Amino acid sequence: MSVVERTEDAAISRPKAVARRLRGPKWFLEMGWRHVVAICACLFALFPIAYVVSAAFNADQSLGGSSLIPRHVTLENFRAIFRTSQPAGSEFLPAHYVRWFLNSMLIAGATAVATVILGALAAYAFSRFRFKGRRFGMLALLLIQMFPQLLAVVAIYLIVLRVGDVFPVIGLNKPTALIVVYLGGAMGVNTWLMKGFFDTIPSELDESARVDGATPAQIFWGIILPLATPVLAVIALISFITTLNEYVIASVILQTTQKQTLPLGLYQYIDQQFGKHWGPFAAGVLLAAIPAALLFTFLQRYIVQGLTAGAVKG
Amino acid sequence: MAEVIFDKVEKVYGNDVRAVHDLSLEIGDGEFVVLVGPSGCGKTTALRMVAGLEEISDGTVSIGGRVVNELTPKERDIAMVFQNYALYPHLSVSDNIGFGLRLRKMPKEEVASRIEWAAKLLGLTPYLDRRPKELSGGQRQRVAMGRAIVRHPQVFLMDEPLSNLDAKLRVQMRAEIARIQHEVGVTTIYVTHDQVEAMTMGDRVAVMRKGELQQMDEPQKLYDSPKNLFVASFIGSPAMNIVEATVERRGGGIVVRLGDQELPVPEDVARRRPALSGYSGRTLALGIRPENLEDASVARNGGARLHGRVLLTEALGSEILAHVQIDAAPVVTDDVVEGAVVDETEQVVAADLLGESGDGRRTTFVGRFDAASRVKPDTDIELVVDTAKLQFFDLDTGHAIHESAV
Repeated sequence: MSVVERTEDAAISRPKAVARRLRGPKWFLEMGWRHVVAICACLFALFPIAYVVSAAFNADQSLGGSSLIPRHVTLENFRAIFRTSQPAGSEFLPAHYVRWFLNSMLIAGATAVATVILGALAAYAFSRFRFKGRRFGMLALLLIQMFPQLLAVVAIYLIVLRVGDVFPVIGLNKPTALIVVYLGGAMGVNTWLMKGFFDTIPSELDESARVDGATPAQIFWGIILPLATPVLAVIALISFITTLNEYVIASVILQTTQKQTLPLGLYQYIDQQFGKHWGPFAAGVLLAAIPAALLFTFLQRYIVQGLTAGAVKG
Repeated sequence: MAEVIFDKVEKVYGNDVRAVHDLSLEIGDGEFVVLVGPSGCGKTTALRMVAGLEEISDGTVSIGGRVVNELTPKERDIAMVFQNYALYPHLSVSDNIGFGLRLRKMPKEEVASRIEWAAKLLGLTPYLDRRPKELSGGQRQRVAMGRAIVRHPQVFLMDEPLSNLDAKLRVQMRAEIARIQHEVGVTTIYVTHDQVEAMTMGDRVAVMRKGELQQMDEPQKLYDSPKNLFVASFIGSPAMNIVEATVERRGGGIVVRLGDQELPVPEDVARRRPALSGYSGRTLALGIRPENLEDASVARNGGARLHGRVLLTEALGSEILAHVQIDAAPVVTDDVVEGAVVDETEQVVAADLLGESGDGRRTTFVGRFDAASRVKPDTDIELVVDTAKLQFFDLDTGHAIHESAV
């Protein structure tokens, strides 16, 4: 994630143009090798994407024999994932792609928004208030984060199962239940990240606002949050993408096909005993990547430095 | 209409760190009072207790006759200017100034007209739509002032508002703040470590040290009759020359002996300090302000003389500061060292400088000479001392040997 300098300083700090033009081996030693490294890194990053794109448009269903450039280009894979009934003679299963997609967007979107709000509230308290158990609370959040989430799967299943008897809204097979579980799981890291950022916002701003007559809530919404947009954007993005990708907990809680998310639904294409349908799988994955990419493009402009410039004499 | 009263105020951090101790002082309605002292003297803590940003451990603070100990900053009706301005960076100048008014749900037209009034008073009108980062330091400082005055609060609190400005601008803003305060007539408590700021701006100045009030008086009184060695060495620039001297009776009068030289104490000076004769045969701290020393070759009036050797001269155009070494023991007590240097971490250096002659037998005086003086470094010099202005302090207690003891 690039951090864009919003102030004009960016222009000033740009290194001055190299006066002398380098040539030949000297050029390679000073400049050229950087290009090689950059190109290698790009290839490394783009390689999997190239294969997914290729598989999505490839009429050939097997992965092993296919080449990177498909021999027969087709949109059939895309049609297949939107087909809700199995046509005669087709080997594809009927799919619920649209439903999965919507489920995923809803769950990931709600989780991202709620994570940001919850995390920011907790971080504000940890950053600005001095209360009993503050240190313990911070350490506990960090410690709990040390355990892999897989450890909790059994417990989560049992809790959701039982709680569902009392509050069906957060019972098994309910997206709300999954959102609640995700929120709990992500609290620690996000709170720490945001607290770190809030600590860099001068506390004189809070004090100044208090003297001006602001309540803690007004300070939080009116002063701190607007200045914390970079970290809020980062957390929202990370939270959205991890939620979109999450498989294990989703598979435990969401049990019927209609309720499932994209990873669960798409996995069925490549999980069948007599055929792995990589084509529709790749097509589905490719489409699922679009909202994440759009969100990144949208949030990127908030990820800037220097928002607090001018607040206090540096 | 509000006076501010500190009554036996204490501030204790944790269990043992005492930031403010037994602070009692009264600030009249519309008065401009400066709290001054070296870093860590508790002046900022005292200010923050008035603001409601710091809890009061004991005693009471009242504003306009109302005890405010338990009130939130909002309920106290005060405005504060912070050392680093603390402007809201995401708001325009006009929104920064109007922030407190909007929080109080003031009608829009009223907010707009008050912002306009404050901007005009501070010369900020062309910048109302800018963000703080697009302003210079001096302009930011004005915005911070604007945010304070626009609310018409009962009390202004200012925490070293000029210390981040460039030296010349600071002098201009000093006058400007005094002018604005005079114009709006609001009770003001101003915290600074700069004694020049304190002397020039305050109706009265309260000198603090280690959490305790040392003396509160009008600037001139503070300068002319400091209550103790600390105030004596803290107020005034260049600082008062302080040297060990022995009191001796000579004939009907009193003389003070500095090393092997003597200064007669004028009869009326001694008469106004009856306690002085009790020091006969003992050593005390003698204080002489730089302007009470003059190069004998240009002195208009005769008088008592001291011999010394010029180490260094600083020509300021209007006057010459001469550093003259005298054969007499310097006073290097904590009082003097702390008064001499504001920054705690630099006090070792200050102690070194005060006792620079090493053997503790020589003291460097600073004299403020007439510009006509032809004084040169590394020459011997004769100084004329205005003995009517001598100040005396007890070496053990640091207290001034007072005129008021009559």
